[in-house]
Amino acid sequence: MSELLRFSENELQEYALLIMACVYTLRIIWLLHFKAGRERQAPTGQFRTTRARGIVYSWMNIAMPWEMESTRTKAFFYVQFVVFHLGVVAAIGLSFVIPYAPGVLKSGAAVLIFQTVIGLAFLVSLLRLVRRATDKYIRAISSPDDYFSLALLAVWFFFAVFAAPNRPERGEAFLLGFFMLTAFFLIYVPFSKISHYLYYPFTRYYFGKTMGYRGVYPLAKSKQ
Amino acid sequence: MSDTRAAQSHKAKKLIERMSRKLNRQMAGSLAACVHCGMCTEACHYVLTNPDDPTYAPAYKADRIRKIFKRHFDWTGRVLPWWVGAKTVRTDAELEELKDIVFGKCTNCRRCSINCPMGVDYATFNRMARGLLVSVGIMPEGVAVVSKDQWEIGNQMGVLKEEYIDTLEWMSEELSGDMGDPNAVIPIDKMDADIVYSINPREVKYDPRTIADAAKIFYLAGENWTMPSEGWDMTNFGLFSGDDDLGGAVALRLYEKVSELRGRKLVISECGHGYRSTRCEGPNWAAHTVPFEMESSVNTMLRYIKEGRIKVDKTRNDVPVTFHDSCNNARSCGLFEEPRELLNLVVTDFREMVPNRSENYCCTGGGGAMSMSEYTPRRLKSARVKADQLKATGAKIVVTSCHNCVDGLTDLIRHYKLGMDVTQLVNLVANAVVVPEKIAVEKPAESEKPAAVAVEHSLEAFKILVVDDEDDIRLYYTVLLEDNGAKVIQASDGDEALKLAKSEKPDLITLDLNMPGKDGGQVFEQLRKDPELAEIKVCIITGRPELRRLIYDRPVPPPEGFLDKPVDDHALLLNIRKILEVG
Ligand code: SF4
Ligand code: SF4
Repeated sequence: MSELLRFSENELQEYALLIMACVYTLRIIWLLHFKAGRERQAPTGQFRTTRARGIVYSWMNIAMPWEMESTRTKAFFYVQFVVFHLGVVAAIGLSFVIPYAPGVLKSGAAVLIFQTVIGLAFLVSLLRLVRRATDKYIRAISSPDDYFSLALLAVWFFFAVFAAPNRPERGEAFLLGFFMLTAFFLIYVPFSKISHYLYYPFTRYYFGKTMGYRGVYPLAKSKQ
Repeated sequence: MSDTRAAQSHKAKKLIERMSRKLNRQMAGSLAACVHCGMCTEACHYVLTNPDDPTYAPAYKADRIRKIFKRHFDWTGRVLPWWVGAKTVRTDAELEELKDIVFGKCTNCRRCSINCPMGVDYATFNRMARGLLVSVGIMPEGVAVVSKDQWEIGNQMGVLKEEYIDTLEWMSEELSGDMGDPNAVIPIDKMDADIVYSINPREVKYDPRTIADAAKIFYLAGENWTMPSEGWDMTNFGLFSGDDDLGGAVALRLYEKVSELRGRKLVISECGHGYRSTRCEGPNWAAHTVPFEMESSVNTMLRYIKEGRIKVDKTRNDVPVTFHDSCNNARSCGLFEEPRELLNLVVTDFREMVPNRSENYCCTGGGGAMSMSEYTPRRLKSARVKADQLKATGAKIVVTSCHNCVDGLTDLIRHYKLGMDVTQLVNLVANAVVVPEKIAVEKPAESEKPAAVAVEHSLEAFKILVVDDEDDIRLYYTVLLEDNGAKVIQASDGDEALKLAKSEKPDLITLDLNMPGKDGGQVFEQLRKDPELAEIKVCIITGRPELRRLIYDRPVPPPEGFLDKPVDDHALLLNIRKILEVG
């Protein structure tokens, strides 16, 4: 293993993680500096809807595609969403497994699982890129950051698929590319739309709290 | 960086300055968290009816506000504005464009909010943007007029105290007559009542039947209730205009009146935005902890039936009905099941429209849309979704617990020629309620009725001049009024109206405002200033309610009536009879 690859797998990731942690902390402080809204009124709605239930329901919402009309009626899109995010989790996991638990990748099955999940996520990212560029609604709301973040992820997935076997002796290009991109990601993410996973618990918490208190969450779905 | 250095209008600067005060954590989160996934797109009725225009997409509309937020409050937008789509607002023309979006392309129905996987609540920050624009004086004219009326007169339809009290007394007399009990009255300003009942000014102006129906139910339930002489309007234009100060002031007026009367519970008549404003948002806007209970009259009526305080016979309502969930009642206050439970107790054939409950579509009259006449064609186009929903039920009547929805639905039903009626639960309950024998009054048989009663509501003795430049509207009023006995003459412009007023001396003139040549405002002023014509009663009927102020501000006595188009048979006859003091 070259010194550059060793550095990329270790110190570079640690510095990048540190930077990301700092910027994330600042992000959270920034969000918390806005005043929190206060509900002075008595709760509305039926007994099954409370603040706490609203919050939990809101957080779990994304795992219950049947609950929202938008996810219920767009099953293919929802599957893409799941695959894409599993791919992200797998690729992040891979960036830790390679330097800290390389033994895992001695198993051919483990490598295959990583490659399959990340490979599918790569395909989804291409589909998403096409959709973003061709769907008139999505195109109208897309910023350069939206395209760039998605393209970056697609490239990252691509490198991750080939880095998964962790065989530097067969060539370091994919491993180097994967770790360099990971480091770049860690630094870029807090400035981009990818930081949405930081906001998710917040927006969902507040929305769930309000909607639960007002008797709207858990949603009373349409019935025949 | 150049977009902040360029000259910025005073209003644009103020708007940005005030944005920092309006933002709270929830809004900042919603503004920061959108991932532009487009999952909310098809949730919006505007999108469904304008499939070729992506500018109607919720996320696109939200981005018009988001870009300002990003440019000024989010570091990514400060550092790399182009990269993340951040942009400030510089000119008044840009503010006008924003106005067109936040007032004219969104009814704040919250349907996109509940369909966003990220929990982005666009409707909430769209309301914030409305409030910011209002604070710098940029808003549709109708919003300005209605807000002014609510600030100054105390209710959003400019109903004067005498008119309100007159209507209550009139309804009170009807109730005593109907029940055959002189004690069956509408108590006004009664102290220590268990229920203080608040209403929508629309009920006074267009639908006093709902007041009478509610009074009948309270009376039969043996309720200790009252209506306040002032501070009785539970509607709140602050919800639509985004003006929290107005919202707080209006809500406080009502809360203070209830406290002054030492009322135990405030019951809010069926009105979506009124319920949301009074019950949910008011205490927050007014920073006031309300010391009494508040509930929708839907819950009150349901309780009366469940407790056996009133008995109902559902076979009296045997026409197929469907129910429309008001966005404010449902998606903002969780009122889903109670109206259905009540409906099932008072009608025989209830059919759900699809989708329903939290997934129902807006009536398209929400968010104050009925007062913004400049957006009427857009509103009616977007109403096709609702029209299709209604049609599919095969129902003859659509029931809704909201006065705004009544207007929105009535308008779209007429536009799409659906031939349905719109009513409220209170009307159905009052119709189904069984009057105990000891108070049921024997109604004289048709043949025994005195002649005076038979012609009680006839307009036979009256000559009415209908002035409107639209042929079909003139024809509609003429047929309706002639069917009710009036002699009708017509004028299609201002000059002709003045000429006919002089030669024919009608008892009443229904006057449109927007007409080619001499407009209705000028005609009205000339009528009032001419000693020969000054006594003729005038009822303004206009599709531009925002012009009300222009009429009332003229240095002449105000018109006897003022109606907003579209006007239906019931409202037109009711108001004309009221003006002519018939029946
Ligand atoms: S669904 Fe939510 S995150 Fe997606 S575009 Fe709409 S508002 Fe943005
Ligand atoms: S709040 Fe309603 S009207 Fe406004 S964008 Fe969302 S779905 Fe459309």
